Amino acid sequence: MNKYIMKRNILLYMVLLATAFFACQKLDLEPKGILGQPELFGNEFGVKKYFTSIYDYLPIEDFNYYGNNNPDGGNAFRPDNYWQAGKNSLGNCSGEFFNTWQGVNNVGFGYWPYDRIRDLNVFLRDFPTYEGEFTSTVYNALVGEARFLRAFFYFGLAKRYGGVPIITSVQNPTAPRDSLEVPRNTEYDTWKFIYTDLQFAIDNMRTSSEFGRANKYVAAALMSRAMLYAGSVAKYTTYMNYGSERAYAGGFAGIDPSKANEFFQYAVDAGKVIEAGPYQLYTKNYPDKALNFANIFLDPGSTENIFVKDFDATAPRNTRLQHNYDAMMSPQPDMVSEVGTESYPPFDFMELYDMPTYTNPDGTPVRFTNRSDIKTDMEPRMKGTMYFDGDVLRGKTFSIQKGIYMTYTGTAADAQAGSNGAPINSGTNRLLGARGATTVINGVTMNITGTHGHFSFNADGENNGWGAAFVRKYINPGMTIAEAKLWNSTTPWIVFRLGEIYLNTAEALYELGKRNEAFDYIEKLRIRAGCKVPRPAIDASTSNIGSINKANYPYQIEKSLQFIRDERVRELYGENHWWWDIRRWRTADQILNNFRHRMLSAYYVANEGKYIYLDEVNRNNRSWTANKTCFYEPIPGGEIGKNTKLLPNNPLY
Amino acid sequence: MKKITYIILGMSLLALSSCYKKDNWAEPDVQIHGNIIDFYTQKPLLSSQGDWSIRYWEKSWTESAAQPRELPVKQDGTYNNNKQFAGAYDMLPYGGPFWPVVDTVRSVAFGGSTQQDFTVTPYLQVVDLTTSLSGTDLTITCRLKAPKRVGLPNLVEVKPYLSLTTFVGESNYINIAEYNNKRIQINKSWIDENGNVETSKLYTIGPLPVKSGYTYNVRVGANVNDANRKYNYSEIKQVIVP
Repeated sequence: MNKYIMKRNILLYMVLLATAFFACQKLDLEPKGILGQPELFGNEFGVKKYFTSIYDYLPIEDFNYYGNNNPDGGNAFRPDNYWQAGKNSLGNCSGEFFNTWQGVNNVGFGYWPYDRIRDLNVFLRDFPTYEGEFTSTVYNALVGEARFLRAFFYFGLAKRYGGVPIITSVQNPTAPRDSLEVPRNTEYDTWKFIYTDLQFAIDNMRTSSEFGRANKYVAAALMSRAMLYAGSVAKYTTYMNYGSERAYAGGFAGIDPSKANEFFQYAVDAGKVIEAGPYQLYTKNYPDKALNFANIFLDPGSTENIFVKDFDATAPRNTRLQHNYDAMMSPQPDMVSEVGTESYPPFDFMELYDMPTYTNPDGTPVRFTNRSDIKTDMEPRMKGTMYFDGDVLRGKTFSIQKGIYMTYTGTAADAQAGSNGAPINSGTNRLLGARGATTVINGVTMNITGTHGHFSFNADGENNGWGAAFVRKYINPGMTIAEAKLWNSTTPWIVFRLGEIYLNTAEALYELGKRNEAFDYIEKLRIRAGCKVPRPAIDASTSNIGSINKANYPYQIEKSLQFIRDERVRELYGENHWWWDIRRWRTADQILNNFRHRMLSAYYVANEGKYIYLDEVNRNNRSWTANKTCFYEPIPGGEIGKNTKLLPNNPLY
Repeated sequence: MKKITYIILGMSLLALSSCYKKDNWAEPDVQIHGNIIDFYTQKPLLSSQGDWSIRYWEKSWTESAAQPRELPVKQDGTYNNNKQFAGAYDMLPYGGPFWPVVDTVRSVAFGGSTQQDFTVTPYLQVVDLTTSLSGTDLTITCRLKAPKRVGLPNLVEVKPYLSLTTFVGESNYINIAEYNNKRIQINKSWIDENGNVETSKLYTIGPLPVKSGYTYNVRVGANVNDANRKYNYSEIKQVIVP
């Protein structure tokens, strides 16, 4: 064999090897790393894994929710760089907190979770194949859980858009275009669909579940909240004068008022389901009712919790499994090591609680020996919700003072709500200052302001003291100052608690005309809150003037119903209910009609050596305004581009 | 060496010129403008800059569903935009302080300089504006007129607007508590507030603290609780504070 032939043979072998062996490589293999339906739907653990990713997407407005349109784009529920959620919180945007940056978000952010709804529809379509693998109880419970989850997404949609397309099948993307373009259902049908899913869930889910997972009572809690929303929409949308708007005329935005009682009754019924469950108002720290109220939000074993979303410090960043609430709500550097306060409770909300007297009957300000004397006689629930001068957090004492009056003669009204134009507020009589400013009075050096405010706008105010009080609810005093920093808070978010359910039931009962029964629930909450009058007498006289910002409602309501609404504000302050409440009551545009927060400001009166508190306009001249476009968000433009049957768009869009 | 430099320069010129691509679509050069006429006065509607808009839909573009766009109305009750594409458009004055305009104006042909006026019927007229100064306290009075009272939504408020520029109204005013808290919140039907008469009682707003040495532009707005709650305005009055 000569060497050329040999070379040729080697080449031939190589080609042969190269082709023959690769023929053994079969490309059509089951990938090993992916779990298919048999693994996921065929056993309980698989289903749990499938649901876990869906739970992660539930529209829960927790610490990380961007109340304002996420400036980086994207989904407000799943923001990137979400430490800023503290600045853009729902409370800041809706005027529940005083904050200098955020305005009202009238248009929303294009929430459209049909991808997750599809995941659930896939489950509901294919899970019956595996029915034989489960006992009927477990099987039904899991189907119920899927329908609870689906209802949660539809609730997120319905409260934003009203009527949306109800999709219960798994659409085939290659189907004819016509069948994929599903028109909107009416708002009534959408809420009824939520009702049906949740009723199924209540009837079929188990009575207990592991921490953070839904059960029958969680479904009932969502039912209570959602049906109250629907009932209010039905009752009050008619006052919006949307008359000529096509979405309103077509029933896509708004429900006939005659349907209101149907939904209110569903809310009451759901409340009764929960009352039969294992929940009780949290009273562990009695007799200290203030501490007890604060601990509702810190004790993971609270008997009041129905559904809780947990957080985890050890999880990787940007998984949204940590939050920054502590870092964003207390003054830096004294009580937290990073960022500092971005949100403060305004006086407009404080004055709804039992407040101590700070103005005498003759109109003069009450003289206090110490600033912290303002807390004597204050409702314990309020002290559990907010921090005031003299309270201690992480070993430091709050010190809050706005300025010094050299003398203060006359009435509180003479200060004209803090206006610089008032004679008594002349620069020589009223001393204001930045952080750490001092003055010498009779040879004694005095601080003009407190260590934690409140300061003027551009004077070291941010992150420290633009307000006259601080939020206590959900603040974890167990952290050290060093630990209170970004990405380091893991206090669980309470999605549903019994206190809210009582308020839902009370409001729904009152709307149904069962006034006394409604106040049975209010009384329970007010006893726990330590109010002076646990059960005020029913006052069925009507008015169209609300409490906050003395809003002019477009309808008359009974005074006791207004009291129940105010009770919601007192009990649920800072829990991301307020915005949705004033939306469903259809009063947001009137309450946030140039809503200019007030501050209860502490001053030292130098010639008397005493302190006074004055009711003032916030010194940053911030105001909040909502308009009637806020009651329904516009259907996202991109979706209309894909499917014109989503038109007519919501009123005013 | 020089040669290479020239070659490189020449090549980069050629290379970069390939980036220059002329759009195959002519630039929008059509002007659309017009007046919003107040039905009662037959003059342009008293407005605030950009308070509300004219909606328009391009109908000659059929690739996608027409979405409404907006032409903001200026303080003098006119609108103007000179960067439009030629074509057929539907137009509708929408969301302003007037009885809803039911009929969309169909197929307005935009080309060259197109004028399209609209006549609207305001809910209210703000008339008889007076201002009086006492030192640095300004007091304003006015009356409202509602020629059409059947079906008129509830009156919401009568609100003073002060500005140091000539632009004054909801979109530009001195937004402070000292002024806003003096607005008169009514929230009643016209009949309950004034009886079934065309002209209301006299509303007095003030005293509003103003600063010496400044010239204020002052007007009053009033609105009704329709879906938009925009304001009808009075004429603007100049107040010079000595």
